Amino acid sequence: MSTVLSRESIHLVERDDTVHVVAEEYFYKTESYYTILSHEIHGIPVAPGSSAVLDAYIVPLCLERAGSAGIPVADCTISHSCAQYPAVLYGLNYFASSSEYSVVRDSARGKETVRHITNNGKYPLCYQRLAEGENIEGHVAIFGKSCPEDDDIRGYARSLYEVFGIPLVTMVYVRGEDGARLSSLAPTRYSSLSNAEKTLLRAYITHQEFL
Amino acid sequence: MSRLGIFVDRKTLSSAEQLNALIRCRDAAESMDHSVEFIFPGDIKKIPQMDALFIRARTDPMNVTYVASRTASSSGIPVIDDPSSIQICSDKINMYCHLKKHGVAIPPTEFLSKKEMSPSAIRDLFERMGSPLVLKEPSTSFSLRVEKVRDASEFQRVARRFIRMSDWIVVQGFVESRYDWRIGVLDGEMIYACMYTIPSDTFKIQDSVNGHVVYCGVESIPPGDVPGEVIRLGIDAANAIGDGLYGVDIKNSNGDACVIEVNDNPSLEGGEDSLYPQVYEKIISYLLER
Repeated sequence: MSTVLSRESIHLVERDDTVHVVAEEYFYKTESYYTILSHEIHGIPVAPGSSAVLDAYIVPLCLERAGSAGIPVADCTISHSCAQYPAVLYGLNYFASSSEYSVVRDSARGKETVRHITNNGKYPLCYQRLAEGENIEGHVAIFGKSCPEDDDIRGYARSLYEVFGIPLVTMVYVRGEDGARLSSLAPTRYSSLSNAEKTLLRAYITHQEFL
Repeated sequence: MSRLGIFVDRKTLSSAEQLNALIRCRDAAESMDHSVEFIFPGDIKKIPQMDALFIRARTDPMNVTYVASRTASSSGIPVIDDPSSIQICSDKINMYCHLKKHGVAIPPTEFLSKKEMSPSAIRDLFERMGSPLVLKEPSTSFSLRVEKVRDASEFQRVARRFIRMSDWIVVQGFVESRYDWRIGVLDGEMIYACMYTIPSDTFKIQDSVNGHVVYCGVESIPPGDVPGEVIRLGIDAANAIGDGLYGVDIKNSNGDACVIEVNDNPSLEGGEDSLYPQVYEKIISYLLER
């Protein structure tokens, strides 16, 4: 089995009678999405599921499901404009990606950003209000394991894996005084992984994660 | 009295025909003693307060209609179109997989992935499936990204364009016909039937010819004039997807009927149901009175 984590490579890992599809991203109509779909059509247990990956990358649905699992999530409003700044903005349309968000601190820049994200008002967006001083941070989770020092983030990674079953994902959080709130889930390029993360992922791909 | 939410967007309200269809739907619900609220994308949080949701905006798993559908579904509210139907019907790969799995007759159909595309693979497809072939980008609607190709160079040119939007594309044998049947199916029963007459200068129901958009003709057909095998095939195709509302397109030019596609969110503003005045009542009963 190849453990080369080359761009766009897909790895199928069989564990617990389920085929786990490891890929950099799971967007709709990609090779990884259709790999999942083919398994589902043939009745082969597969993780993540095709509807789970759709939910994971559509921010309001992602937060709804994560919130139901007890994970703190950012308040998310769907609109054609953003009422309050600072805020983090996500597109909500065919061309949008959860990996492309905009943090906007003032309304002057906000107008231009909203125009861009909504394609001049054609599509809605979703925004999450940020309190002063709050920032965005990202953490990679591999089969539900994440290595930050924050115990909460490690727990959320496990819970998110139980909800969505995505082997490789970047968890995007709003970090405030009261801790972290989930903002979105985004794809993860193999090239962005640290050496420790690459080692862990390869261990999963070769069934040596227990080492 | 129950509350029906009708999910719309700006585009739904952009034509007089669409507006008329929405008004007919609202009037039908009110005549059945239900109240109606139009819900726009910004009002999505109101959905859990409704008793049912009817989506009348272009559905796609990547747009806000899917959020609306999932919101209704996770709140336990009956919804047309349900999330699974949107996911399957919006993606022709997924849709044809379901039709094949259930043994529903379709034209010869194969899928070609980006990584498999090569001159020899294309040659092989022509040898096995004949010429011309029809290429489809999986999420196309209104025949926008459907093209007929006659040779390998045409195939490559079109496929390269489609592969930019999807890692897999549909390759289908061409079925000649001057009209498509459209069978409207709700919960496994035909609720209307019509014919789409294909414009003479194209093979699609809608196309751009010499810079002008040409549309198909629509003729509502009484049930007694629809061949029995077409009705049965329409119902079988819809059942392969789910138990919601579908518009099934069928070609039957040589008596060997085959399904071209199953649409969730079928159009009802073009006169498709003009001989079937109970269509909206049936939809509302399905949503609110089951």
